[in-house]
Amino acid sequence: MHNMSRRSFIKGGSLLAGMGAIALVGCGGGQQPAADAGSADAAAADASTIMLVTEGKLTCISNMYFPPFEFMDEKTGEAKGFDIDLSRELAKHMGLEANWTKESNMGFDTLVPTISSVDYAGGKATGKADIAIAGMTITDKRKQEVDMSDPYLDSNQSLVLRKDSEETLETLNAEGKKIAVQDGTTGEEWARENLTVADAAKGIVKLDDIINAMNGLNSKTYDAVITDLPVAKYQIETEKNYADLKVAEAIPTGEQYGIAVSKKNPALTAAINKALKEMVEDGTMKKLQVTWFGSEV
Amino acid sequence: MHAGSSNRLKRLVAAFAALLVALVLVPSQAQALTTEKATARPNEDGGSGVIGGIPTRLTWEGVVEDGESITSVTLTLPNGASFDNSTTKVTVLDNLTRIPNDATATPSGNTIAVKLSDPAKAGYKLRLEIEDMTFPSEGGDVVVNGSYESAGKTQELAPSKPIATIANTWLQQMVSFLDAQPWVQAWNSNQFLGMFLKPQLILTSLFSLFPGWLVCLGIVVVAYPFAILLGLVFALMKLSKFRVVRAIAVVYINVLRGTPLFLQIYIMFFGLPMMNINIDNNVLGVIVMAINSSAYLAEIFRAGIESIPTGQYEAAASLGMGRLMTMVNIILPQTVRRVIPTVTSDFIMAFKDTSLLSSVGVMELMMFSKNLTSVTGNMTPYVTAAIFYLIVTLPLIKVVTIIEKRIARSERGGGPRPKAKVADAKQDDEQTPAEPEGAEATLASALSAPFRAGTSVFGGVADVR
Repeated sequence: MHNMSRRSFIKGGSLLAGMGAIALVGCGGGQQPAADAGSADAAAADASTIMLVTEGKLTCISNMYFPPFEFMDEKTGEAKGFDIDLSRELAKHMGLEANWTKESNMGFDTLVPTISSVDYAGGKATGKADIAIAGMTITDKRKQEVDMSDPYLDSNQSLVLRKDSEETLETLNAEGKKIAVQDGTTGEEWARENLTVADAAKGIVKLDDIINAMNGLNSKTYDAVITDLPVAKYQIETEKNYADLKVAEAIPTGEQYGIAVSKKNPALTAAINKALKEMVEDGTMKKLQVTWFGSEV
Repeated sequence: MHAGSSNRLKRLVAAFAALLVALVLVPSQAQALTTEKATARPNEDGGSGVIGGIPTRLTWEGVVEDGESITSVTLTLPNGASFDNSTTKVTVLDNLTRIPNDATATPSGNTIAVKLSDPAKAGYKLRLEIEDMTFPSEGGDVVVNGSYESAGKTQELAPSKPIATIANTWLQQMVSFLDAQPWVQAWNSNQFLGMFLKPQLILTSLFSLFPGWLVCLGIVVVAYPFAILLGLVFALMKLSKFRVVRAIAVVYINVLRGTPLFLQIYIMFFGLPMMNINIDNNVLGVIVMAINSSAYLAEIFRAGIESIPTGQYEAAASLGMGRLMTMVNIILPQTVRRVIPTVTSDFIMAFKDTSLLSSVGVMELMMFSKNLTSVTGNMTPYVTAAIFYLIVTLPLIKVVTIIEKRIARSERGGGPRPKAKVADAKQDDEQTPAEPEGAEATLASALSAPFRAGTSVFGGVADVR
């Protein structure tokens, strides 16, 4: 056990340095390097070591019903979207490969707990994923559970209505109104905080994903949807998926998306922030934004 | 963007201006920073209330008026409120665009001072999100006051609209008590225990999940009688002499059994409203569950009816009974007893399957626990939900086991014999057959038979004697 963790610690370190040879020496267990002589906990506490669930790969999780940030290709079921492309570029800048599998798709509300529960005992990452990248707004509440990377995109909330609807944010705040939101999102928080009368009457309906919310609005199950502005715009104005819906109002919240990383893996957060900065400087970020939003955001 | 939205905006601005005039007239002083709103995040587990004395988040928004620029804002809450240990996110917005600003927030008791690195210009919106602050624990309507600095002068802020808060409840006090216990802290520091079995959350979720549990039970208890009736109808249809009737039953049963309940729920919940049929979510939940269960029950009943030996039909015919009479008086009572274990198992399944209704917004147990989990970032509410499900399913599973044992015993020919019963009559009255000789088996006696010791489940009318 002790040997195992030491080996992976060294592998992690050598990955950074780009020297695979040391790993072999470490396995042999000959000369003990100074850092290696410490306990397994010392390795875990070492802030300069990136620990990954799968070596050489940046394993990601997300909630795949949030176009254009993340969604599944209708034909292949493969992960697609701004965040997916961002993660691939991010991994490339870090000398890694982004790892998206069928298991990467999770409930939005479980993303933060999943990342925060990854175990880094003995300098070895045991868990489902290294990062959650899911159009996730940086909030102080989330920062208590996980580390959030530097922001990579600005966002706002929006009110989505049917085209024939006369509702406003004022008229929606009443008993009997049904407002659909995605569970665990800042949109849900905004709705519950600002539409208090509707919330007290159980009128804020929390759904698994925003596609359900928009379908429900389309079919008149709900009176309105509150969701992130880029998502609403993409679905209704860019992709024209809902001919009967409109983005009725933009709600300025000035929130920013960030990537969730475990608090026990500070080196990864630092590396991601560095890579994000590089991506802004070398124009990668701009390219991604043009690809997915038609212009720089 | 849209004609409608700009109109609405104008209306909104007009309404807002009216409010503003009212607010400004009272202090009769020009406001350089207008309080737009102050709201608080609900922190009641599974509820919508803002409870005093427990950390929550205050969001305050103000707009800088024409020709002004703001360098700092101080918010003040009534005594008893606290900004200590809070963190503040400051956002400066020009419409929808963020303006970079390195602001610092200094909390001290019931006031918090926010200093902007660059002055906020006219038209900018200032948004403060203060996480982990607390309102006074006695509750009541809380008004956010404060002051701001503009061009070196300090002025009073217009008071916000009141935020309704409620007093700290005994439940919350219990939680605070648990928070302070060393053993609870030690328990929660274990990653597994803290994530799945956090004592504070078990306590609060027991109360907040209860309504969801009642909804689950309500849905399945109301749905099941309908499912049984429907199931019986389709079972008899499947055994019909007429090919068309049989075909209808086969299609109904196979389509419903061959597709996931999840899909059926989606079709009903999103499909019906599209045809302008609007039914209450809970009622629709009952309908979906009843229809789904009826298909499974139809198959159970059909198999039960077919398992009755032909001898029973022949015996009935020899007594001069017609088809209907045979079915009602001879076959069905025997079938009922045979299918009770399978029907109970199906009931357990149906009860658990109500959880799928959470995906379409029915406020049942799963929904409540999901909400709670997303609010707390902890898995404990799911564990509590599991306890609630088990409260119903475990006793039922036990019942199924007991009945199955009884049936197996009587099939082996075990159990007390009719003669032995007469001998033991004094000891155990229950075992004496209630019916006089030659009495017909009633539905009630048939239903209760598996629960009564001694009655042979297998033979039907003749064996009861």
